[in-house]
Amino acid sequence: MGVLEAMDRSGDARPLPLAGVRVCDFTWIVAGPQATRILADLGADVVKVENESYIDSMRWGMQQDPAHPSFNGSGFHGNFNRNKRGITANLHHPAGREAAERLIAKSDIVIENFSAGAFERMGFGWDRIQELNPNAIYVSLSGFGQTGPDRTYITWGPTAAAVSGATQMSGLPGEDPAGWGYSYLDHTAGYYGAIAALMALHHRRRTGEVQHVDMAQIETGMVLTGVPVLDYQVNGREYRRIGNRSERPAIAPHNTYRCAADEVEDDRWIAIVAETHEQWAALCSVLGVPELVSDERFASNEDRKRHEDELDAAITERTRPRDARELMYALQARGVAAGMCQRADDKMERDEQHAARGFYPSAPHGHLGEHRYEGYPAQFSDARWRMTRGSPMLGEDTMEVLTELLGYSAEEVGQMMAELAV
Amino acid sequence: MATQTTGAAGPLEGLLVIEVGDEAELAGKLLADAGADVIRVEPRAGARSRHAGPYVGDRPDTNQSLRFAAVNTSKRSVTLDLGSAEGAALWAELVARSEVVLDGTGPGALDEAGLGPARFRAERPSLIWCAVTPFGLTGPWRDWASSDLVQLALGGPMMSTGYDDHDLPPIRSDGEHSIAMSNEYAVTAVLAALWLRDEAAGATPDSSGPGQLIDVSMHEAVSATTEGAFPNWEFLGQQVIRQTGRHAAAQRNAPWQYKCTDGDYILLMGGGVPRDGKIFVGLLEWMDEHDAAGDLHDPKYVQVLYTDPTINVEVRNHVAVTIGKFVQGLTAEEAYRRGQSLHLPWGLVRRPEQNLDDPHWEAREFWWTGEVPGHPDPVRYPGAPYKFAASPVRMRRRPPLLGEHNTEVYVGELGRTTDELQHLAAAGAI
Repeated sequence: MGVLEAMDRSGDARPLPLAGVRVCDFTWIVAGPQATRILADLGADVVKVENESYIDSMRWGMQQDPAHPSFNGSGFHGNFNRNKRGITANLHHPAGREAAERLIAKSDIVIENFSAGAFERMGFGWDRIQELNPNAIYVSLSGFGQTGPDRTYITWGPTAAAVSGATQMSGLPGEDPAGWGYSYLDHTAGYYGAIAALMALHHRRRTGEVQHVDMAQIETGMVLTGVPVLDYQVNGREYRRIGNRSERPAIAPHNTYRCAADEVEDDRWIAIVAETHEQWAALCSVLGVPELVSDERFASNEDRKRHEDELDAAITERTRPRDARELMYALQARGVAAGMCQRADDKMERDEQHAARGFYPSAPHGHLGEHRYEGYPAQFSDARWRMTRGSPMLGEDTMEVLTELLGYSAEEVGQMMAELAV
Repeated sequence: MATQTTGAAGPLEGLLVIEVGDEAELAGKLLADAGADVIRVEPRAGARSRHAGPYVGDRPDTNQSLRFAAVNTSKRSVTLDLGSAEGAALWAELVARSEVVLDGTGPGALDEAGLGPARFRAERPSLIWCAVTPFGLTGPWRDWASSDLVQLALGGPMMSTGYDDHDLPPIRSDGEHSIAMSNEYAVTAVLAALWLRDEAAGATPDSSGPGQLIDVSMHEAVSATTEGAFPNWEFLGQQVIRQTGRHAAAQRNAPWQYKCTDGDYILLMGGGVPRDGKIFVGLLEWMDEHDAAGDLHDPKYVQVLYTDPTINVEVRNHVAVTIGKFVQGLTAEEAYRRGQSLHLPWGLVRRPEQNLDDPHWEAREFWWTGEVPGHPDPVRYPGAPYKFAASPVRMRRRPPLLGEHNTEVYVGELGRTTDELQHLAAAGAI
């Protein structure tokens, strides 16, 4: 029994769907770890391999105790690497390389997100993986993919968002692009990376065939731009930002409206969408302006769309003194689609839905202590996902993995540690 | 031009799926493009996205919505009135031929009609039923009204996205991303459930292993996709501040995005400060060509940036602002290409359609060429987010017309006669 099974305190006898699947995880930063986070949450044995040259640099990001920085002190890293086991293997030392190769030989999936070609230069291309393990699937996730003239270009999430079109598709008309306030395409690429690994496993089960799946982070963003790409080719329309409104389909009101300040800041907003006449009438009633229902400027959705600036100003006048959360409940009680713009503290301390569904389960970590983590956003009737342990501390599971899985004796591992091979 | 329908099998070849409702259409597409046989079951009026523009030629037509086309490639379409007895009977037969049901009809909607997972999972425990709903199948917000805007507000992306000026609102990025996030997670859940089913049963496609009811919550999927705001609160007890064109952060930092001489924007990851000293030297040489390096040759910058373990925000911001002034004197394309040649992770801020002209994607055969109903010429669809070497993911067929496959499915596969089909149509059941 491995450490994660031993630490499981869920008391839940339902199976983890991916129990028995092993992943040799050479990922780092965010996109790759997001892919293997999903596999680990669902029960795969994800063994993250790090070494002196390739320590995941996110281990330094957002230190819990900035005065005492540590490889093990990042909650940011922790959230993306929970439920994984971690080993170190020095690839410049023959014994360290041997340990990594033995892990590949025992894995169903090998996954990495280095720049294109880097993994091959480290001695682990597709050919070498097949020599080590003819049953292994290989998923590579780079910025531009392993082929094409720009394959050596490098991306972080925001670079990929910019090139894919995602950055342009966010923001108010007449203002700069707002982009995304975080590396959205690291997450999208991670989600598709997990899907790719699972599809390849499905194919292997049915045909016995294994393969290399080549992913480009930017392409995972371009996949989500179908509507404007088709609109341009068919209708000749260049993309134009629409802010928080809805142009095609044309719906009004459809926007964010400012509410009263809370104890933290004067920056509270509510999103409101009223598509039907009933919703529009209910909105006017809750806002205390029933006369707007009979205002001819706002009689139909088309009228409201035509006078949208006046409409939004009239609504804002009534939302500005209101508490965003109370207004949201009042509108939802009348069937109007409304949601406040929640901060992390809103979601974690005051969101009744998350609380009821247990979306932020907590788990221990050797350095960070007990903390809550984001859940996996689905529940299974006859299976479960897990939140057993935070991220592995650097090399935390080296001894266990090498002795129990890779066939080394404790004495051999001790020697390898002394030589800094692991 | 013919739709691409030939070629090697995809990774999910042979998997039988039906999709119903409006919240799971990207999940259906992902499975269909990968080779699964996905039948989209639509009401007689057509799916919601058929009633949303843009349309071919801006003429509203249920068969010519580009919003529908973008997320319904490779599927077949049948129509069905679930409220009629004949329609309900056909529905039961469609469920019976399927391994996976993608249910985007809303929480409890089908169970209330006796046509949902409660009935069909009891009849056949190996069935995998995946419900994608705005808030999940349980909880106090289960029946709340929803929309993409509301989801991105409640889930947190908006409070991290917008402008330095907080008199401007938090921003919902365009593109129905709450559908994307939840549907991507739904596919991971379905594939994991299939793995468990087959593992238990011994690996045959008509497996009798355990099925699942999978309850995917859009609110949770969006909430899990916000990155830095969560650890800042949980581990440090601090809020993040949204900023123009860059990451929300606990403290304001220098801009990452600048308008260049050609009017396009360039994104400088992390404000443009190179991650190692060698790249910094190359950047300074480039800046010198434009006499734009300012005081950055002063050795103190290399020292602070690359040897000082504590990040000196003031120095970093000065370097970033100097680089920002420099790139504003270039075209965005030049900043992008030359920057990348120096290993700087800088990105040209493209409109999505501008990628159609980039030879890199052409060389990778990213685009899928095919038909859009109602448009005379073939167009390029965005392709797959992954390139499988042995089992290609590709557009199996163009997006279906409404009910295009009624005869093929109801007569050819469920064994109705043509006469019966006409009767069903006349009675309004299909």
